Amino acid sequence: MISIVGCRKTHRGDGRQPPVPVLDGVDLEVRPHEFVAVLGPSGCGKTTLLRILAGLEGWDSGEVRVHGRPVSGPGTDRALVFQDFALLPWATVTDNIAFGLELRGVARAERTAVANRLIDRVGLNGFARHYPHQLSGGMQQRVGLARALAVEPEILLLDEPFGSLDSLTRRGLQEDVLRLHHETRKTVLLVTHSVDEAARLGDRVVLLGPRPARVIETIETGLPRPRPDDIGSDRRFVALKEHLWNRLKALTSR
Amino acid sequence: MSAGAGPRAAVLRLAGGLVIAVAWEVAGRASTSLLLPSFLETMRALAALLTGGALWRALWASNQTLIAGFAAATALGIPLGLALGRWPNPARWADPYLNLLLVVPTTALVPILLIVGGAGFAARAAVVASFAVPVIVQCARAAVRQVDPRLLDAARAFGATPAQQWRTVRLPAALPSLLVAARLGLARAVEGMVVVELLLVAVGIGGLLLDFQGRFDAPSVYAVMLVVMAEAATLTVAGRALERRLSHVAVDRD
Ligand SMILES: Nc1ncnc2c1ncn2[C@@H]1O[C@H](COP(=O)(O)OP(=O)(O)O)[C@@H](O)[C@H]1O
Ligand SMILES: [Mg+2]
Repeated sequence: MISIVGCRKTHRGDGRQPPVPVLDGVDLEVRPHEFVAVLGPSGCGKTTLLRILAGLEGWDSGEVRVHGRPVSGPGTDRALVFQDFALLPWATVTDNIAFGLELRGVARAERTAVANRLIDRVGLNGFARHYPHQLSGGMQQRVGLARALAVEPEILLLDEPFGSLDSLTRRGLQEDVLRLHHETRKTVLLVTHSVDEAARLGDRVVLLGPRPARVIETIETGLPRPRPDDIGSDRRFVALKEHLWNRLKALTSR
Repeated sequence: MSAGAGPRAAVLRLAGGLVIAVAWEVAGRASTSLLLPSFLETMRALAALLTGGALWRALWASNQTLIAGFAAATALGIPLGLALGRWPNPARWADPYLNLLLVVPTTALVPILLIVGGAGFAARAAVVASFAVPVIVQCARAAVRQVDPRLLDAARAFGATPAQQWRTVRLPAALPSLLVAARLGLARAVEGMVVVELLLVAVGIGGLLLDFQGRFDAPSVYAVMLVVMAEAATLTVAGRALERRLSHVAVDRD
């Protein structure tokens, strides 16, 4: 479904700043319906990788393919959920959710119907006509999630979507995303710097090294789906986290 | 504006006006100069003006110039500013000239414009426009530059074409600043209108002023000035009200 081979990317500094090598030959394979969590330290190039997949920026060498075709720009088969939500501040929850459909020329009545269904699904009942600044961070990201789901993508790209939320809210949204993945069988690629999040959500965890990023290790978590509520005390889960922690610590202490 | 508006503030403002009126009256009576009429003399002249036809004819003539010039300035300045803000690299050549236009008193350019264009309606409207254009261009340009790039990324990720990026992100984001641009431009346009009529072509309000001046009718001169000030203040207040209504976010925040 997603196939990245030897992807390299250097952010060219604009004049004053020196160029920053960010991706140093990243290899990544994501199968249909799989939930892959890419784990890496802050600033290692996770966002860059997702932006490349979303078609927002190019890369220097290597291959980046979705459905076997090289990525050449944004596409209807992928939808990105942003780390900082990136909602339109002047648009209501409904209009934000329907944004992608509006861009595709879907009629208003139909967009609103889709948005209403998603409002229900992500638990924002009663907030259809609110504006982003009237919502908590967790609710804003629910809008971001619903906006991505509205365009019915096959692939969801999640860029540290819960990074800025408090831990309780984060846990709630993680469970929602797991449920969503279970129900829709969408392919999900999530990037995060949180060991707990990667282990909790991923079928597979792909560990990236510090900038410029390369894949250090890929681990099939082998944890049950759907995840039981008490996964936190599962011995395999604890051991996986311990392992990931140690690897990350070793990678970043150099 | 609404912050200080209560019965108390209204009383204070009224009291302030009264103090000024009394001081003016005293100074006017004490002075033997023909150039400083008393407050009551001015009010009598104002009443005569308002009930006669000359003032209204002059206002009508001047405002036609004002509206035409301001409309032209907006139609020209906003697209130009938006384009300069959107494409900063080719816009760089324009920088020194625009900055020059902003700091050079436009009054100094008026004779040139009139030599080129004559003294007709179109030329006067062009002068009015030339007063308003620089500030409109600068504001519109800043407005586009301030558009949050993350919102543009979101639009692109969901497949927005360049035209859709303008319609769904850049223009709504710029709207509040564009309204400020129009309001500041209007204030400059009023200035341009008075300058051209007063200094160069004796028509409309300017013509009326020169006429009264020639007859040493100081109370009428002051009364006409008051009318111009009242119009400018009314336009500004109306502009602010329009801004509040049109900028969705601001409206919603109250
Ligand atoms: N447009 C850009 N121009 C220059 N440097 C950039 C740009 N975007 C990101 N970077 C740099 O590339 C590195 C990786 O960024 P990013 O992909 O956002 O990392 P992460 O998401 O893993 O925290 C950072 O050091 C960042 O400063
Ligand atoms: Mg990031």
